[in-house]
Amino acid sequence: MSKKTSTHFGFQTVAEGEKTRKVGEVFHSVARNYDLMNDLMSAGLHRAWKRFTVEISGVGAGDRVLDVAGGSGDLSRLFAKKVGGTGKVILSDINASMLAVGRNRLINDGFFVPALQCDAEKLPFPDRYFDCVIVAFGLRNMTHKDKALAEMQRVLKVGGRLLVLEFSRVWKPLAPLYDAYSFKLLPLMGKLFAKDANSYQYLAESIRMHPDQETLRQMMLDAGLHKVDYYNLAAGVVALHKGWKT
Amino acid sequence: MLKPLLTRLLNHLINQNSWARVQLRPFAGRAVRFVIPPISATITVLEDGGLAMAGETAAPEATATVPFSVALRLLAGDEAAHTLITLEGDTELAAALAKVLRNIQWEYEEDLSHLIGDAAAHQVGEFGRKAASEAKHQTLNVAQMFSEYWQEEQPLIAKKRHVENFLKEIDALREDVERFEKRLEKLSEASKTSVKKKPRSTPKKKTVS
Repeated sequence: MSKKTSTHFGFQTVAEGEKTRKVGEVFHSVARNYDLMNDLMSAGLHRAWKRFTVEISGVGAGDRVLDVAGGSGDLSRLFAKKVGGTGKVILSDINASMLAVGRNRLINDGFFVPALQCDAEKLPFPDRYFDCVIVAFGLRNMTHKDKALAEMQRVLKVGGRLLVLEFSRVWKPLAPLYDAYSFKLLPLMGKLFAKDANSYQYLAESIRMHPDQETLRQMMLDAGLHKVDYYNLAAGVVALHKGWKT
Repeated sequence: MLKPLLTRLLNHLINQNSWARVQLRPFAGRAVRFVIPPISATITVLEDGGLAMAGETAAPEATATVPFSVALRLLAGDEAAHTLITLEGDTELAAALAKVLRNIQWEYEEDLSHLIGDAAAHQVGEFGRKAASEAKHQTLNVAQMFSEYWQEEQPLIAKKRHVENFLKEIDALREDVERFEKRLEKLSEASKTSVKKKPRSTPKKKTVS
C-alpha cells in the first residue's frame, strides 16, 4: 500500500517532515518583524479582521478559548478581554520563536495567558474542553490540515465553535491585481522591511495553495463539525469560517 | 467591509441594551432574514446573545418582510404598523428578533460622554432631544395646516365627522337592505305556498238535479 508522504511548501512539493522544518524556519525568520509586516501587507486591515473574528465568535465571560497557531498573541489579547477573570484563554503555537514573541507581548500588556508550544495535529487537551477554538492565518502552514481540523473539533465542547481566519480565494475580477501585489510587491516589502524576501515569497505561494472558501467549508464538515458558515472579508482576500459542534 | 461594520454596530447596541442578550440567547446560532424591499439582510444570533450579519452560506430559518411604507411608519413610532410585518418560517424566532430590534435604543449620550465628557454630552443630548421634539412639533404643525387647507379650502380630504356620518348612513342603509331582503324572502315563500294550496281549495262542481 502506497503512503502519501509529500506535501506542498508554497509552490514546491516537499516531503512531509521537511515542510514542518521549512515552515519552522520561515517563522523563526519572520517572528521579530511579524507585526510590522502584517500591518504593511494588509494596510492594517488584519486588526479589523481579528476584531470581527472575536465579535463573530460569540465568546462571553467565563468561556474557555484555545488560540491555535496564535503566534503574535493578537487574538489571545482580544479574547482575554472577552472572557474576563472567570474564563480562560490558552495561546498555542508550534513555533517557539513566534510563541515567545506573543507570550512576551501579552505579559508586557498585563495579560497572563498560558502559552503552550504544541502541534495542532496532536493537541494536549481532553475531549470537549473548549467553548471556542480559533486558528488565524495558521491552517495553511499545517502539514495535515484534515488532522488538525479533526483535532480542533475533538477538543470543542458540544455547542462550541471552531473559527478559521485564513487567506482565501479573492473575487475573480480583482485576481490579477492581487497576484501582482502578492508576487511582486510582497517579496519586495519582505526584502526591504524584514530583510527576508524568500519567507514572504513562501507566504504568497502558500496563500495560493490554500483551499478556497467552499473547499475549506467541506473540509470542516468532514472533520465532524455540524454546520459551517463563512464570511468573505475584503472581497475574499480573507475568509472567516465558523463551524459548530453538535 | 460592510459586514464587520454592521456587526460591530449591532453588538454595540446590544451591549447598551443588556436585556436583549437574555431574550436572544435561546436562539443562538440561528438566522433571520429581514426584507425591506428593495434591500434585505440576514442577521444571526450569536452564542453570547449578540447579533451579527450572517455569513455567505447562512440558511435563515425565518423571514420577516417589512413593506417600505410600514418601515417608514415604524420609524415614525407608529405602534399599529407592527401588525403589518409578515413573518414566515419559525415565527417565534422572527418575532423575538423583531421585538428586540424594535425596542433597542441607542444610548448616544453614553457614547458621546466617552469623547467629550459627561456634562458636555448631557448638554448635547438635551439639545438633541429639544431639536428632535421641536422638529416633530413643527412637522405636525405643517401637516395640520395642510389638512385644514384640504378640508376647508380645497376639500380634497373628508373631515372625520363627515366620514363617521357617512359610515353611519351606510350602516343604516345596509340594515334597511337586509330587512327588505328578509321581507322579500318571506313574501316570496308565502306566495309559493299559496300557489301550491290553490288546486285543493277549488270548489267541486255541483250537479243540478
